[in-house]
Amino acid sequence: MSTDIHRLLDEAFAGVEMTPDAQDLKEEIRANLVARVAELEVSGRSSTDAAQLAIAELGDVRELLEGAGATTSDSTRADESYAAQQLRHRVRPKVGFVVRVVVWSLAFVVGMTLAVLGATGVLPLPIGSIIGLMGFASTGLGLVVGDSLSQETTTNHPVPPNRAGGYFLATLLASYGLGFAGLVALGAVPMWCVVFAALGVISSIILFAFLGASQTNRHKAWVRRAQHDAANVSNRFEDEPETAARFGIYTAVIWVVTFAVIVVLVFTVGWWWAPLAFVAGFALMMLVLARMMFGSRKT
Amino acid sequence: MTQDDAFAADLLRGHTDTIVLGVLRRGDRYGFEIYKSIRDATGGDHEIKEATLYATYRRLEKDGLVESYWGDETQGGRRKYYRITDAGRAVYGRNVSAWVATKRIIDSLLDVKDQTNEH
Repeated sequence: MSTDIHRLLDEAFAGVEMTPDAQDLKEEIRANLVARVAELEVSGRSSTDAAQLAIAELGDVRELLEGAGATTSDSTRADESYAAQQLRHRVRPKVGFVVRVVVWSLAFVVGMTLAVLGATGVLPLPIGSIIGLMGFASTGLGLVVGDSLSQETTTNHPVPPNRAGGYFLATLLASYGLGFAGLVALGAVPMWCVVFAALGVISSIILFAFLGASQTNRHKAWVRRAQHDAANVSNRFEDEPETAARFGIYTAVIWVVTFAVIVVLVFTVGWWWAPLAFVAGFALMMLVLARMMFGSRKT
Repeated sequence: MTQDDAFAADLLRGHTDTIVLGVLRRGDRYGFEIYKSIRDATGGDHEIKEATLYATYRRLEKDGLVESYWGDETQGGRRKYYRITDAGRAVYGRNVSAWVATKRIIDSLLDVKDQTNEH
């Protein structure tokens, strides 16, 4: 492999301002050119020929970068508020979906209630039908989750059917597992049945973890653009490091005082008052945060 | 390029986004692989220009329909791979059904049935 291609690529990018974006594009094009040159060489061209042809096929890279700049500028309709955009892209829930969710919620509630009544001995149900009811309820819950995810919303695209099916299964397993754990706790089934509970819960955790880890973007383009614009508006703490430092000190003071108050409360009026101090401290921190992030700017 | 070719190329170019999403649905690819898949499918005729494709990748990524990541090649430059997102799959599905519906309408308006029977 000759180095021609790298020299030609440098020439093609000569005079282009090397922003991170341009650098990225250059590296991307480089790998693609190398692959194209290799292909041309296999078909019998000399390496110099191949490099020149590959570059010629590419065309003008400046156009690409300018084009990218142009698309970003005309797509920033920042003057339109988020609420207005939301209204424009509004997606109403489908009637069929609403009906289905109501039916499945009913299945869940009825199944669960009957199962609990059976397990506690209020209703004389055989254990087999209690487990059956639990499965019925779990299926209802899973369907609510799966069906909701596969709906298109104002801000999100629907989850693909397979993935929505995965969430359905994970919810069903979790619900069934927890239900079994409940039956064991109530003494309706023998202790060893805890194995089923563990099996359901653990497999649902694994499935949820897999689905969560492999989840990709579902936001619609307009939402992403709105988020991007919002991020551009500003992060005060990034613009004014001294404000961030001040917030850090305030936070430390608030929590030290909160801790002291907790200690005092525990030894004077009793430990059950301690959470109150915690809540007060948290509220105070949030107020300070809001004030520092969104308060009037000093210029 | 004849007029027929120009017509076909125009039609094809109008669906570049969906075509790229369709290629990525089969698995993660880097630019040259995507280009090659399209070129092979069109039999080398009226292919989509590379410059058009780079613009498409950027647009798709900005809209969140694909994600990109760098490969760990050590020789010949690192490759930028593209992966379709759930949003991309949804848009792909919607565009395909729109295409199928449109195709049916155009076919019936242009009496395509008779044409194909003759061949």
